[in-house]
Amino acid sequence: MLKSWKLKEIVLMSLFAVVFGIVYLLFLHVGNIWAGFIGPIAYEWIFGIWFIVSIICMYIIRKPGAAVVSETIAAAIEVLLGNAVGPRLILSGLVQGLGAEAVFAATRYKRFDLWVLILAGVGSSVFSFVYGYFLGGFAVYSTGYVALMLGIRILSGALLAGVGGKAVADGLLATGSLRGYAISRSKKGEARA
Amino acid sequence: MFAMAFFFDPWTPLVFWVGVLVLQVFFSQIDWKKWLLFMLPFFVTAFGYFWTTLVFAEDQSGPVIWTIGDLQITETQLNHALSLSFRVLAFSSLSLLFALTTNPVTFILSLMQQLKLSPKIAYGVMVGYQFLPVLKDEFVQIGQAHRLRGAGGEKNALQRLLGVRRILIPMLAGAVRKAERAAFAMEARGFTGEQRSSYFQVISIGKVDVVLIALFLFVLVLSCTNGLWLS
Repeated sequence: MLKSWKLKEIVLMSLFAVVFGIVYLLFLHVGNIWAGFIGPIAYEWIFGIWFIVSIICMYIIRKPGAAVVSETIAAAIEVLLGNAVGPRLILSGLVQGLGAEAVFAATRYKRFDLWVLILAGVGSSVFSFVYGYFLGGFAVYSTGYVALMLGIRILSGALLAGVGGKAVADGLLATGSLRGYAISRSKKGEARA
Repeated sequence: MFAMAFFFDPWTPLVFWVGVLVLQVFFSQIDWKKWLLFMLPFFVTAFGYFWTTLVFAEDQSGPVIWTIGDLQITETQLNHALSLSFRVLAFSSLSLLFALTTNPVTFILSLMQQLKLSPKIAYGVMVGYQFLPVLKDEFVQIGQAHRLRGAGGEKNALQRLLGVRRILIPMLAGAVRKAERAAFAMEARGFTGEQRSSYFQVISIGKVDVVLIALFLFVLVLSCTNGLWLS
C-alpha cells in the first residue's frame, strides 16, 4: 500500500497531524472540564472534531489508506506531545480512521463530494462509538441515553468533520498551496486551482 | 485494558488502579507534582461518570440504599457507578505511567525496529514532531498579525474558539510548504524509505522490559481473578 505513496504526502499528513494535534488537545481539555459537570455526553457534541484530519487528508491526497493512516499519525503525535490519554489513543485513532476509510473504500476512492465526506464523518462516529461502548462501559446506561449519545455523535461527525473538513480543505485549496496534490488534479469544475 | 471492559463491579478496576500506582511508585522516578497536575482533570471526569451512571443507569435492581428527592439509588447502580469511575482512573494512571516515563523519539525508533513499522512513516512522524515548536511559534505569530491589523480580540471563549478557523488556514498552508520542503530535503539526502539492516541508534529489548511485562500481566490477572471471585 505504501509503495504508491510519495514521501511528501506522508510528511504532509504528519504536519497536518501536528497542527490538528494542537487543536485536538484544546478540545480535549474543553471536553474534560464539561464532562465533570454533565458526564460523558459532554464529548459527544465536539466529537466530530477528532475525525477531521482523516477527512481533510483523504480529500487532498485521495489515495487508499489516507484516512486511516493520517488519523493514526495524528493520534501518535498527540501521544508524543505528552497527552495524558497515552498510547491507547493510537488505537482509538486507528478505529476512527477505519470508519472514514470504509466509506471512501465503498465509493472505490472515486467520489469526494460533500455527501461522501459527510458519510465518512458518520462512519467514523459509528466506529468510534462501538469502540467507546465497550471501553467506556456504556452498557450500564439506559438504552434511551445511549441512543441520544450516538445521535449527537453522528450529527457532530457529519457537521464538524464532514462539512467543516470540506470547508477547511476548500479554503486551503483557494490559497493555491495544494498544487501538486490529487485535489488540484481532479476534473475541471470540481476544483479551482 | 480490554479485559477491564467486561467487568462492572467496583473492585476489579480499583485493584488494577492500585496495582498500576504501586508499579509507578517502586519502578519509576517521576515528578509527583506533575503527576497530580495531569491527574486532576481525570478526577473531575471520573466524578462526571459517577453521577451520570447513578442517574441514567439501565439496571435498577437490588435494594435501595439511598434516596435523594425522587431519585432512588440501588446497590447495583452504585456498584456500576463506582466501577466506571475507577475504570477512568485506572486507564488514565496507566497512560500517565507511559507518558511520564517514555522518551517519544526512542518510542518511535522502537516501533520501527521491533514492530517493523515502515521507516517512511516513522521518520515522517518524527519530522512532524520536530516541527512542533516552529508551528507553535507560527500560531502565536499569526495571532499577533491578526491583532496588528485590528482583527480578532474576541472576548468570550466561544467566539475565540470559532476564531481558530481564521488562524487554521494560514497555518495549514504553511504546513503544506514545510512538508514539501522537508520531504525534498530528505530525498535529496538519499532517504528512500526502505527497511534497513542497521541503524544509527539501536534500541534493544532487555531484561528490564521482560520483568515489567510480567509484572503488568500479574496485576491484570490479579484484578481479573478478584473480579471473577467476587461475582
